[in-house]
Amino acid sequence: MNLTNGFAFTCPFKTNSGNKALEHLPVELAGLNAFKPLIITSRELAGPKAIGTLINAFGDSGMTIGVFDDVTETADLNVVEQIREIFLKGQYDVIIALGGGIIVDVAKILNLAVSLKVADARQLSPATAIRDPLGPFVVIPTAAATGMETSKYAVLSGKIFTSVHLMPGLVVLDPRLTRAKDGKTVAEAGFAAFGRTLEAYIAPDKNPFMDAYAFTALRFIRENLASAVNKRCNKKESLAVANAVAMSGCVISNTDQNMLHRLGQVFQNTVHVHPGIIIGMCLHPFLDDCMKKDSSRIASLLLPLAGDDKYAAMPEAGRAGDALRDLCEFSYEIYRALKGKIPRTITEAGIQQYLMKDIFDIINQEPDGAYLRTVIDRVGGSSIKA
Amino acid sequence: MILPDYYEFCCRVKIVAGHDALEKIPALLAEMGSKKPLIITDKGVAAAGLVDIVVNALKEGVTIGGVADNVPPDSDLKVVNQLAGLYRDNACDAIIAVGGGSVMDTAKGVNIVVSENATDLMAFSGAGALNRRLKTLVAVPTTAGTGSEVTLVAVIKDHEKHLKMAFTSYFLLPSVSILDSRMTMTMPPFITAMTGMDALSHAVEGYYCLQKNPLSDAHSLAAVNMIHQYLPSVTKNPADKDGRLAMAVSACLAGISFSNSMVGIVHNLGHATGSVCGVPHGICMAILLPYGLEYNMHKRGETIAELLLPMAGEEVYRKTPKAERAEKVVSLIRQMNQDLNEITGGRHARYFSEVKDRDGKQMVPREILPEIAKAALLDGATIYNPEDQDYEENLLVLEAAWEGKPLDRNKIKKG
Amino acid sequence: MREIHAGGKPLKKAYVAIFLWFTGRAIQAAAKVDKEVQKEFAALPDDFTFALGCLPNGPWMVVGKEKGKVKYFGGNLKCRPVHLRLVIKSLDAAFLILSFQESTALATTRNRLMTDGEVPYALSVIRILDIVEVYLLPKLIASLAVKRYPSWWSFSRKLAGRVGVYTRTLLGF
Repeated sequence: MNLTNGFAFTCPFKTNSGNKALEHLPVELAGLNAFKPLIITSRELAGPKAIGTLINAFGDSGMTIGVFDDVTETADLNVVEQIREIFLKGQYDVIIALGGGIIVDVAKILNLAVSLKVADARQLSPATAIRDPLGPFVVIPTAAATGMETSKYAVLSGKIFTSVHLMPGLVVLDPRLTRAKDGKTVAEAGFAAFGRTLEAYIAPDKNPFMDAYAFTALRFIRENLASAVNKRCNKKESLAVANAVAMSGCVISNTDQNMLHRLGQVFQNTVHVHPGIIIGMCLHPFLDDCMKKDSSRIASLLLPLAGDDKYAAMPEAGRAGDALRDLCEFSYEIYRALKGKIPRTITEAGIQQYLMKDIFDIINQEPDGAYLRTVIDRVGGSSIKA
Repeated sequence: MILPDYYEFCCRVKIVAGHDALEKIPALLAEMGSKKPLIITDKGVAAAGLVDIVVNALKEGVTIGGVADNVPPDSDLKVVNQLAGLYRDNACDAIIAVGGGSVMDTAKGVNIVVSENATDLMAFSGAGALNRRLKTLVAVPTTAGTGSEVTLVAVIKDHEKHLKMAFTSYFLLPSVSILDSRMTMTMPPFITAMTGMDALSHAVEGYYCLQKNPLSDAHSLAAVNMIHQYLPSVTKNPADKDGRLAMAVSACLAGISFSNSMVGIVHNLGHATGSVCGVPHGICMAILLPYGLEYNMHKRGETIAELLLPMAGEEVYRKTPKAERAEKVVSLIRQMNQDLNEITGGRHARYFSEVKDRDGKQMVPREILPEIAKAALLDGATIYNPEDQDYEENLLVLEAAWEGKPLDRNKIKKG
Repeated sequence: MREIHAGGKPLKKAYVAIFLWFTGRAIQAAAKVDKEVQKEFAALPDDFTFALGCLPNGPWMVVGKEKGKVKYFGGNLKCRPVHLRLVIKSLDAAFLILSFQESTALATTRNRLMTDGEVPYALSVIRILDIVEVYLLPKLIASLAVKRYPSWWSFSRKLAGRVGVYTRTLLGF
């Protein structure tokens, strides 16, 4: 790692992970001087069971809790404005987001609205200046988390808000909530987090602080994703994956290397395909290119992927090749376990031709658009185009 | 990688590092809405010209609200109150702490007083007493060791009432830590050596103690790797800029690790030795570290063995049979002490019997060891140590560390 | 949108309360039977009192010294000034500890058990609790509850101590 050029790093959230993590919430909130939480969630997306578990965790605290459980996939600033009024009227003092994706995006913008004390949430835009830390904000990811919950980004109606202050102050990972009902959800989240951290990990400008998160996330996903997808009793494994997914939010907020992430975003915003699916399929062409540019960076992947013993046993010249082989094995294992539930090419994803055109239009606007196109072409994009 | 049944991890401090990191302070202050910082430091730091470097770096866009260089080596409630007064009189809106552990402690104390408008600091000790954000605190460490730029603890002493107050809160974490190679450039070799070993003790104890978790582990591994690589060379070549920066970064990594996973017997006995005999903390850490590993070996052998790869690299790791890796880690740390001893012309002590004060007098006479063993029973670090400790065992370790011979592990009681 | 008042957890609370009552009386008993517990208490100040319990609303157990004797003072935290509080973060965490799924040391390292007060006092109390647990519990469970099971204790200490602590705990003298 080259430190000469200097760097900055920040990870504002505290992580509480494990058995009965939810039950610590009353004490954690008191520590933030917060006593009346408003839970933002969705019956449809997070499920009534998760909401019940969270509310039960407040048992014996004597607290009053607000629950807004109507967030939908199509939520926009109007919804935020609606909740803002509820927040003010009910005199809530902390926001708890339960779930993943859009739920947390809504909660982040809500936090922005109530902390900046705007008169109407619909005035907010990505250009809104965010100087100071916002109010207390807790994120409780479920298995449907995408990794962006813990990041500095919030996306609402296609607008991307960016600020480290949007990141939560506390992330609670409880095995009762992070356990996935189906392997597909875990695999999507796992692939998304894996690709994002992997790209940061092999970046030439990485710093040791971000690296600590990336290393841990990569190893957790490599060691646990397959069994989390495969096994029925996968509490421990899916908690490990959820940890990695949460860490990936910190990683993506501390790096400029986010090609795979951006590709995932384009597909998510245009055709509502989970970014994990796109990132998963693009991993191989992307890594092939990196290998041609600088194989030593790929070689460094062998340590988090294969572990200490295998890494040390392999002579330097063979590491990059071994890392790629290990990666192939890893994604093959996941795809095989899912028996076709996750598409492996753009063609399999069934994206219509006219939508692909929109996607290419957006990609072309990116500074490295020409390159990104070649990646998409190699995972089946070209066949659709033709 | 092990995921504990439950863990918590937090380091909210923004880290800014580089050869010119100080120059970024004005922009960072502006980002946080602060314009007029009070600089808190001590006489030693000021005399070494470090405050001048900081002041120069602040030229653009910042009004300095005063430079207070009267922090004593041992934090003092009176000084905290006096500096809080200065902060208020000069209408400051941020604090820049430039120094080592006691400067950081003092700055954290001042921050409580000015942020909470407190008259009695005591009211804010104890768990949960602080529950909102304090004023902007920028930490500029001048030693690569204590890690106090990223810890959530402040210890303030009331010398009149003979009280030691400990404050623990995530709100005490500095807003930003600045790791700039210029701040450690002038550290003499033997101080470089002992502060570096202090950092190593944080990284290593953080890795084997009970509260370890995946993130503290990753920070420890990175720190162990860099300290082993850079500490001897920086001690030898004090002007090695990149080495200095690497040491500052690794001390910070180690600080993040141990403030989340806590420390054990090495710190427990080290604190006791420090308070009974006045031996500098870093020396205690350097001497006791191999013994802490040996003491916990029967419970944490595999964990300790995992340190070998980041420490010594692939070749040594591969050549050392699995069963001997943990012991190899211990011998490598002993070797580091030996090398540092040679580089510093004997000033870096390897055993307690070698520790001498300025007049060449032995600081830890053998007959005082029982007193240290007893004092250690009152130190909290024991809670996080994997194996239990009692008086006899404390004495056993101290005696071995005094003579400089390996610990007789058969004498440790096993449950 | 709805607003909910957090409910109670009566069963868990009852279990924890009964267990604390039992432990409180056992400490009082152990202070009469075991020399090491006596020694620990002797080193503490004359009116030393500590409490063990959980947030946010109890239950609690208060034990302290009165006129040189160690007494269990019941469950009211306000019954006398407390020097040291061992605080468990939630009822569920207390249940984990008191049903021996998690040792005291482990609970501390998992940030579930906090100490509020001077550290040397806390260390003393933890040593006392460890000894009491060894007396109260069969080896299999006690070795889960403490860092290391004192296999070096003499057989007579274990047997006589255990009988003494149990009788006194149940009969309350």
